[in-house]
Amino acid sequence: MKKLLDELQQAALQRETRRHFLHTCSTGLGAMALGSFLESCGFAGGASDKKAVQAPVTGSSDESPMAVQPAQFSGKAKRVIYIHMAGSPSQLELFDYKPELVKYNGKDCPQELLTGKKFAFIRGVPKMLGPQGKFAQHGQSGAWVSDYLPHLQGVVDDITFLKAMHTDQFNHAPAQLLMHTGSARLGRPSIGSWVTYGLGSENDNLPGYIVLASGGKQPDAGKSVWGSGFLPSVYQGVQCRTDGDPVLYASDPAGMPRSLRGKTIEAISAINQQQYNDVKDPEILTRIAQYELAYRMQMSVPDSMDIKSEPQYILDMYGVDPNQGSFARNCLLARRLVERGVRFVQLFDWGWDTHGTSADGSIDVGLHDKCRQSDQAVAALLRDLKQRGLLDDTLVVWGGEFGRTPMQENRDGQTLPFMGRDHHLDAFTVWMAGGGVKKGFSFGETDDIGYYGVKDQVHVHDLQATILHLLGFDHEKLTYQFQGRPFRLTDVAGKVVKPILA
Amino acid sequence: MYLKSFVFIGIGIGGALLLSSFFGLFGERVDFNTQVKPLLNKNCIACHGGVKKAGGFSVLFRHEAVAPTKSGKPAIIPGDADASEMIRRLTLEDHTERMPLEAAPLKPDDIALLRKWIDQGADWGDHWAYTRIEKPDVPAIGTFWSRLGLRNNAELDWAKNDIDHFTLQKMKEQSLLPSPQADRATLLRRVSLDLTGLPPTEQEVADFSNDKSSGAYEKVVDRLLASPAYGERWTALWLDLARYADSKGYEKDTERKIWRYRDWVINAFNQDKPYDQFVVEQLAGDLLPNRTDAQLIATGFHRNTMTNDEGGTQDEEFRTAAVIDRVSTTWDVFQGTTFACVQCHSHPYDPFTHEEYYKYLAFFNNTRDEDVQSDTPTLRFFKDQDSVRVAELKTWLIAQKTQPEQVQDWVNFVRLTEPKINSHDFDQYVNASLLDAKNFGVQDGGSARIKTVNLTGINRLVIAIGTKAEKAVLTVHQDSPTGPSLLTIPVINTGGKDTVMVYALPQVTGKHALYLTLASPKQLKEWVVIKWVSFRPALPGTSATTLSDMDAKLQAILNAKPESTPVLVEATGDMARKTHIFERGNWLVKGRQVQPDVPKSLPPLPTDSTGKPVPRNRLGLAKWMVQRDHPLTARVAVNRFWEQLFGTGLVETVEDMGTQGIQPTHRELLDYLAAEFMDTDHWSMKRLLKRIVTSATYRQQSVASPELIAEDPFNTWLARGPRVRLTAEQVRDQALAVSGLLSHKRLGPSVKPIQPEGIWQSPYNGESWQLSEGEDQYRRAIYTYWKRTAPYPSMTTFDSPSREFCQVRRIRTNTPLQALVTLNDPVFIESAQSLATLMQQRGKTPEQQIKAGFRQVTQRDASPQKMAVLLKLYQQSATYYEQHPADTQTFLGGANATPQVAALTVTANTLLNLDETITKE
Repeated sequence: MKKLLDELQQAALQRETRRHFLHTCSTGLGAMALGSFLESCGFAGGASDKKAVQAPVTGSSDESPMAVQPAQFSGKAKRVIYIHMAGSPSQLELFDYKPELVKYNGKDCPQELLTGKKFAFIRGVPKMLGPQGKFAQHGQSGAWVSDYLPHLQGVVDDITFLKAMHTDQFNHAPAQLLMHTGSARLGRPSIGSWVTYGLGSENDNLPGYIVLASGGKQPDAGKSVWGSGFLPSVYQGVQCRTDGDPVLYASDPAGMPRSLRGKTIEAISAINQQQYNDVKDPEILTRIAQYELAYRMQMSVPDSMDIKSEPQYILDMYGVDPNQGSFARNCLLARRLVERGVRFVQLFDWGWDTHGTSADGSIDVGLHDKCRQSDQAVAALLRDLKQRGLLDDTLVVWGGEFGRTPMQENRDGQTLPFMGRDHHLDAFTVWMAGGGVKKGFSFGETDDIGYYGVKDQVHVHDLQATILHLLGFDHEKLTYQFQGRPFRLTDVAGKVVKPILA
Repeated sequence: MYLKSFVFIGIGIGGALLLSSFFGLFGERVDFNTQVKPLLNKNCIACHGGVKKAGGFSVLFRHEAVAPTKSGKPAIIPGDADASEMIRRLTLEDHTERMPLEAAPLKPDDIALLRKWIDQGADWGDHWAYTRIEKPDVPAIGTFWSRLGLRNNAELDWAKNDIDHFTLQKMKEQSLLPSPQADRATLLRRVSLDLTGLPPTEQEVADFSNDKSSGAYEKVVDRLLASPAYGERWTALWLDLARYADSKGYEKDTERKIWRYRDWVINAFNQDKPYDQFVVEQLAGDLLPNRTDAQLIATGFHRNTMTNDEGGTQDEEFRTAAVIDRVSTTWDVFQGTTFACVQCHSHPYDPFTHEEYYKYLAFFNNTRDEDVQSDTPTLRFFKDQDSVRVAELKTWLIAQKTQPEQVQDWVNFVRLTEPKINSHDFDQYVNASLLDAKNFGVQDGGSARIKTVNLTGINRLVIAIGTKAEKAVLTVHQDSPTGPSLLTIPVINTGGKDTVMVYALPQVTGKHALYLTLASPKQLKEWVVIKWVSFRPALPGTSATTLSDMDAKLQAILNAKPESTPVLVEATGDMARKTHIFERGNWLVKGRQVQPDVPKSLPPLPTDSTGKPVPRNRLGLAKWMVQRDHPLTARVAVNRFWEQLFGTGLVETVEDMGTQGIQPTHRELLDYLAAEFMDTDHWSMKRLLKRIVTSATYRQQSVASPELIAEDPFNTWLARGPRVRLTAEQVRDQALAVSGLLSHKRLGPSVKPIQPEGIWQSPYNGESWQLSEGEDQYRRAIYTYWKRTAPYPSMTTFDSPSREFCQVRRIRTNTPLQALVTLNDPVFIESAQSLATLMQQRGKTPEQQIKAGFRQVTQRDASPQKMAVLLKLYQQSATYYEQHPADTQTFLGGANATPQVAALTVTANTLLNLDETITKE
């Protein structure tokens, strides 16, 4: 009797522990590609914690970890393009128009703004710095956008601006981690990993979560911002590179033609099949499937990354030089990838950290350049998605990891050669478009100098909760069992920003 | 007689009936751990446990569960379920009061169980993993007659050692039969990969196959355990746990030279350092009496935490993060217990309180490392002229009849540059700034305070200082910025670099605040930067008031830039840190002060051999962890070794033996192994491994019938051998080994084998991947340079963690990206080319060559069917390359670029990608 009870308890415990599911199938995870182990892996039970609202999934025969999964409820967005301007653009030059700040330009910062505050670089008493852009209202919605972004001015009626964003971190790496993983420390899964874990991928021949970086550097927090943390590594972002192999090792060795690669894969599979006949380990069948997928990916990835097939007018619309890696090219690639069913496309563009220590890193020179390099392509991406009918169910998010101060930076008490602003965690702007958010809408307000949000503030965790909501997930219920407790993207916080939902 | 016993039984029955009705004992006793605890964990503890105590009720500890709740009376009254509020609330109809709130009611059976448990006295039980490890009886196998040796028996014939008795018992319970032993070649490959991480050579296979002696296998095991490759293989595992990396992590992620720690681990495994000592030296080697350099290097284990050099980050925040990581890692690695959640609140499921977390943290919160960019303290290894100077200094000290402790103190100072005050601790800035949030900088007219310095017996100020200013003067004042001037220092224009200077200080007694003021009239805005200061007595035998040659020598030694490795150094005296509880885990909100201690639910700190309590520091803690009575350390260790060999631990959740972990499949076997590990093997890891790999359980073939796979898909009951994909390290090492490329060069700085362009792109970090030269390109994977934010790509593709934090268990995946690595990564292409050359040398015909290649890679002969597939591929490839000489040249380069070699290379590439190649069978 006792033994029976023990077993029942244990069986229940194992069913409830997705971790166990992942491990037992970790002879493994891939084994599910062939489906024969779903029942015995307790897939139904395991899946129930990511779809807490949904009835348990029955083990369909083509279930792989990347197989398409229904969301918890019907979300308007089916996929995401997240454009992260690493280093953090100045909201005060681009979107958050503060005429009052003009008056304070060049004056000492009032002490009450400094008391109890910590800055990354500002020391002592800095001077206030007025907005450097020329602002006007645009579109039917009358959105404020400066002359730094002339192209974006034309698409504001598709955008919702979140003008009172705030975060907890004023250094790049922790703030980027917080933005993408919900925690300022390393080790948590990124939002793209959560989304592919929740929804799977719609294209078998491409990774479900693709990362494209431009600007010459990785984001400050490195690959961890697209890492899978404690989620299985199949859910980590795959970086497609603009130089060399788009996916690492996707190219066959020089001198080996495709036909021969095809024959080697056939030979590997044939021998593996014989090995399976001898030893009956289902993991071998998974391996056969993965080799065949690898072979297809070798074709499909370069194909999706090859923009030479795009008509000239599209290249012109984005402002792309097809022979050069660039942010603009990545925008076009993002469209090509979502078109092909990639679930989450993450763009990083490095170089938005405008302290004023150099021409490149300044708001009077560098920020203009960054805007010039990106503005046309971002506007084109929205137009292009729209004309293809993709914008309705593709969510586009644009933003940095924090904002910038209304004060001019005085690093280490010195006057800097260019105009710059320090990191600021209390107020910044993020915008979203498509995928179930309102069109031509602005949410949240900051005070007269753009220092604090004063109305409808949105925390990073709220933004994440909202993105998951738009994809059909309750952020409190998309969880993963780790270290003895369920973890989620939004940690122990986050509220869906309902007023921006269409 | 019959009647008598009948009456006796009758009385017995009557008495039992009476008793059971009296005590509510219908049936057997309810077991808390297996029956009640899971119910409480599932239904109650989220609101009534370590995190929340709704209504003042908690079911985490018995004393809490039976204590009065907010209502004033206890919710559980032992012995009286009917009077217990808990039962009443579980059975209510009213949804607003019925427990669990807003959830389905408990099943009647469950409620009946809880009722019975309360009636029986509501006994608590300790979770099995928190009870002392006792050696269980070894189950008997075979029949009575066969055990006497009077009859043959399959079970007895199969079993090789005690392990098999335990596994066989479980198999019988599941109606499973063990599998026969794997063939010799497969077994040799398995055990070679498991013990050394490398496949056997053809000669080794032949030797073993031909050795018909009874101890042939044991001989092989002994040879493998004695091989230097053994230490390298097990170090690969340990580096994940130690979160070893060659870079500091976070944004800048610049280089950290800590490979000496990695070498220490390799040597420790190869010397078979007993596990208890292995633990003590890594956690507290710096505190051991007469510690050696090696023991100090061992403390690098906890210096593998990350250091944040990003501009503007606060050192104290990241020092605290490192200490918290040390606590979590210590629990994860040595105690198999998830402790991280206790940082913010009491453990939700296991018996550890919030306060106990900080008492435990206090053991680790007293080291001198403070997230400083230089990674100080580091142990410095002097060379040439510098080491001569150090020797002279030592000779001088001994000649002055200096006490040995004092000699050691001076040697420590020059080798560790500790104790010192890092300048981020200065305060009361005027015209001064913590530049980039790292080092103290001061301009003309500026000042800052060093809060307290005990000046009694102090005659020297040692200061690391630098500036680009001309004619700046720094003055040290006592008690206030305008107080008595103790010392005036002309600051030399060093071009901005910091230089260590030694100055004589006048005699002052007692503790004082010191103020540093700067006059820099020539360049008002030029910074004078101070990195650290140290206050010391004069060297023995030198004048207290004037500097001597010995001071100059000391200064020269301190300015040397020798190689070094980060180590732990304990803070003493005024530098010792106090530990406070962080309210809700927030390091900025400090609560009550706590003293170092271990959790109450585990044994108390032990006494040493003289009966004195161990010190309340890391050394005492380490000794506590490896004492015989500690319930977790040995269990966790043997479970990890088991997991490495079988692919799954006896407790599957290697990282969690607590109540939320998966229950052990073979609990008695786990305890048996843990007890033998401590009592018989005296913590010898090699003996433990030998015990396991010589068992019949381990030696079974992994080939299984569909029926067996259907019965036991995950090999839980061990009725067949393990069949597991190789680790990231093994995949690489094997390819290099079988193709003859592998370098057996051991130890030393990390190397940079071929890696695609563009992997390293850290902001503000000029470092680049400089391809290593010669054999360093072909070293074993553990020597590959590990950068945390951009790890070596093929390693992470095969499930290596990034080593930002300790990862106890790698989750194995099977992805197309892995296929692309072994198909196309230049490392594997080069291996295929080299293997092709070997194949060509070993046969005249393609058939002979391919046979040789297959044997070289898999250590066995290819079946005719597999040969047919490979031969066909060879022919197709040869035909192609005969028709395309240019491709042949491109594919192979060099002199030997014939269509035949190209075809062999394609075949070799295929061999290196077979499932049976990258799998341990």
